[in-house]
Amino acid sequence: MVDSSLLQGTLELLVLKTLSLEPMHGWGIAQRLEQMSGEVLQVTQGSLYPALQRMKRKGWVRSEWRSTDNNRRARYYMLTARGEKQLALERAGFERSVGAVFQVLAWSGGVS
Amino acid sequence: MSIRADLQERLRALLFRNREDIELEEELAFHMEQETAANVRRGLDPREARRRAALRLGGVDRTAEAVRDARGTRLLEDLSRDVQYAFRSLLRTPAFTATVVLVLGIGIGATTSIYSAVQSVVLRPLPFTQPENLHVLWESHPETGIERELASPANYLDWKERVSSFAELEAYGESLSQVTITGLEQPLVLDGVLVTGGFFSMLGVRPLLGRDFTEAENWAEATWRAGETPLILSARTWRSVFGGEESVIGRPVQMNGVAARVVGVMPETFAFPTEHVDLWLPVGWPSEAREATWFRRAHSIRPVARLAPGVTAGEAAAELAEITGRLDGEQGDPGMRTRAGMAPLHAFLVGDVRAPLLVLLAAVGVMLLIACANVGGLLLVRASGRARDLAVRVALGSGRGRLVRQLLLESVALALPGGALGVVLGVAGTRVLERLVPHGFLRVTTFTVDSAVLAFAVTVTAAAALVFGSFPALLARRVSPGDTLREAGRGFGASRGTRRVVGGLVVAEVALASLLVLGAGLLVRSIAELRQVEPGFDAERVVAVTLNLPGVRYPGPPQVTAFYDELLARVRALPGVESAAASSTLPLRAPGPTSDFSIAGRRPDQYGTEVVRRSMTPGYLETMRVPLLAGRDFTDADAFTDGWDAPRRDRVALINEVMARQFFPGQDPVGQRITTDRVPDADSQWRTIVGVIGNERQSEIAMPPRIELIEPSGQDTERDMHIVVRVPEGDDPIHIVPAVRALVRDLDPALPLVDAVRMNDVVADSMARDRFLAILLAAFATVALVLALVGVYGVSAEAARRRLPEFGLRMALGAHGRDILRLTLEHGLTLVLGGLALGVAAALLVTRLLSGILYGIAPTDPITFVIVSTLLIAAGMAASWLPARRAARIDPAGILRAQ
Repeated sequence: MVDSSLLQGTLELLVLKTLSLEPMHGWGIAQRLEQMSGEVLQVTQGSLYPALQRMKRKGWVRSEWRSTDNNRRARYYMLTARGEKQLALERAGFERSVGAVFQVLAWSGGVS
Repeated sequence: MSIRADLQERLRALLFRNREDIELEEELAFHMEQETAANVRRGLDPREARRRAALRLGGVDRTAEAVRDARGTRLLEDLSRDVQYAFRSLLRTPAFTATVVLVLGIGIGATTSIYSAVQSVVLRPLPFTQPENLHVLWESHPETGIERELASPANYLDWKERVSSFAELEAYGESLSQVTITGLEQPLVLDGVLVTGGFFSMLGVRPLLGRDFTEAENWAEATWRAGETPLILSARTWRSVFGGEESVIGRPVQMNGVAARVVGVMPETFAFPTEHVDLWLPVGWPSEAREATWFRRAHSIRPVARLAPGVTAGEAAAELAEITGRLDGEQGDPGMRTRAGMAPLHAFLVGDVRAPLLVLLAAVGVMLLIACANVGGLLLVRASGRARDLAVRVALGSGRGRLVRQLLLESVALALPGGALGVVLGVAGTRVLERLVPHGFLRVTTFTVDSAVLAFAVTVTAAAALVFGSFPALLARRVSPGDTLREAGRGFGASRGTRRVVGGLVVAEVALASLLVLGAGLLVRSIAELRQVEPGFDAERVVAVTLNLPGVRYPGPPQVTAFYDELLARVRALPGVESAAASSTLPLRAPGPTSDFSIAGRRPDQYGTEVVRRSMTPGYLETMRVPLLAGRDFTDADAFTDGWDAPRRDRVALINEVMARQFFPGQDPVGQRITTDRVPDADSQWRTIVGVIGNERQSEIAMPPRIELIEPSGQDTERDMHIVVRVPEGDDPIHIVPAVRALVRDLDPALPLVDAVRMNDVVADSMARDRFLAILLAAFATVALVLALVGVYGVSAEAARRRLPEFGLRMALGAHGRDILRLTLEHGLTLVLGGLALGVAAALLVTRLLSGILYGIAPTDPITFVIVSTLLIAAGMAASWLPARRAARIDPAGILRAQ
């Protein structure tokens, strides 16, 4: 199980990515995240909803009530235009950070 | 109130707060459902599946709470919950809440209405363009001690020509001139003010209708040449006299019998120099008039200057002084040096009402402070009654900050309706105040409650809430659950710390209240002193009727004398008239003109100045009951039939007692001769003094009588006279006025009666300012005293209750009821005496602010201090008497059993 605080904002990035596929309800997001990560990433569900609330306030996602496939009412979240942009930004930022981490790990030079 | 109920209440409020919360609940329930279902699919039994789902989510409630936090509205939600809680808890004790709201409302209301007056009169800038650049100029004459004198037109013209610091220099006539307007349905007397042609444009005010005066317009000249005088009306006159029609512009009327024409109407908001002005007349002088000496000596106008851009008031004053000094050297009168000074127009117009108004504001502020202390004490006692409840909540983990906030919110919840009531009462109080203000005391007659006044009320309310709210809040900060629960478990009542604070508050209240009562007492004593003052005449059963004869129809002494002789003869013949006479001035209203004088046979440098002059008919002394101290009264024989202006041997005069004492010490003035010239010559009019009469106070009851020279109206006629009529015992003199009016109409239908007033009212008017201040101060002091006594009562009662077990024990051991009575009384008295001592000490420092307002007594008048102290001690005794008596009547056995 990987803590979502591993890198700041990772959870939000992952949620953005998940929602870029299709609108989803909260539980669905958690399921999809686990599934996509090959069960490596297990979302602390307790932090998922506050994160969604924060993203809503920032205008990255919006929500609406829809019926599920088996006719239950659920709140679906979807990406806004700003969310799309944010996803690209966060993704670039994340890649830079991860790249930097790899660079550190791969360091073989001496101490100057 | 139980903690569980409170928490349940909060929980419910939390869960059913709004749609957001309901939706959140549904969302999380859906999540749980899905997760549980997934777990079941993995083969768990339903109960275990549900438990795991909840674990995974980290608890439904915690998650919900975290989401609410993420909404970022948490603080507001808490706050609004606390506000609701505060209001609910206040509504549970309606009597307490109503008392506090009422006390606050009265305090804030009274403060707001006094402030509205201060704002309207003192603080609000004059509604003119850049009013801070407007300054009034005056003359001073160091030799005679005359300060801030009206300026003479000649000096005004010199200044206008030479002082470069002034961008503009105009002038107005300070006193109202009564003008008779005819040509309307009925003759009318209106109050006019003279202004120079550019006056309004200098102020930056344009007429609402019609046009402004022009520099060329000159009333005096117009009158002489029988041209046409332009008039500008106030909006009030325009509405009330001319029906508010625009066609008024160009309307011809007659003013004092000469042709005049309405040329303009000023805007509604314009009032200068006071709100009592009905119309304005142009005035101006040709610059050649400066050659005449009289023109330099006729102090008749107030010049107003607008500073040139970039010039400071100090620079302008220096230039004015320098130029005036030089002019005085060139052409001045060596016996009368002229100096000049200036002051901001606004401060000048506010004048001497500033001090009384600020005294009232301070007094009402003190009253509000007492109200706050009172409410603070009440809240403190209430909070300490809940100390146990607070302690339990602290023990259960409630943040102290939250408790402090809650108690402060409760204060705010009290302050809001208190402030609202205060604004309502304040607006009503403003209207009452307008009615109470004596006529002519203030420059404005309406006090508008504008945004500044409302802002003041809000600030005062907030400050009050902070003052009284901080007491219980401080208590909450100090709550120590262990101690409180232990102490509270034993009995009832407030903790020792609380008692000390409440005791201190009551001492402060008594101190402030004694300060106010002392101030009010001083004013009341001052009025009593004023009432002792003999005005010099007997005002009972006398009415005065004022007449102005227009110069056009009454051009000279023969016509004027004939009119008044005939009128007086008819008035005296009326049934119900004891006697009647006429005088050119009325005592206590305004002194007549003054002049220099010389007494025959004295050295040239022994002339006198500033003798007040008036003209009266025979019979005045009898009608007004002014005593004749020496010589004789005027008779009908003291009248000329011709040759009024020629030097004659048979002119006579009366002088008053001060004049006899000052200028004829050890001599008999009767038979001596006097002239109103400083340097007598062949043309001088010499008068023989035929009598000495008692002093009448000329301008105000509080002003000592000035020297006065009285001439018989048959020798020195005046067009404007006051007819004084005395009626027999038991009659109201005002009832004779219609009959007099009818006689005037018979003689001259075009003549209006200017004014009819009981002399009693004239006397009362001259004390009106002092009475107004005393009434208001006494009212504030009474409220303050009642509040302080309620405080004393509350503390005594609480102390008596707390010591009941001790009293029971004492009585069981043989103490009598009166010992208990004494013990309780002593406690109350300690508070009163402590407060009184502080109040008296403060008063000794502060009451000197009243010295300009008091008459005949010192600001530290010992009699007032003794009486007020006695009164306060007696009142304090009474307030602690009730609880003391209750304590003394206890049944010791019952009390001890109850322990």
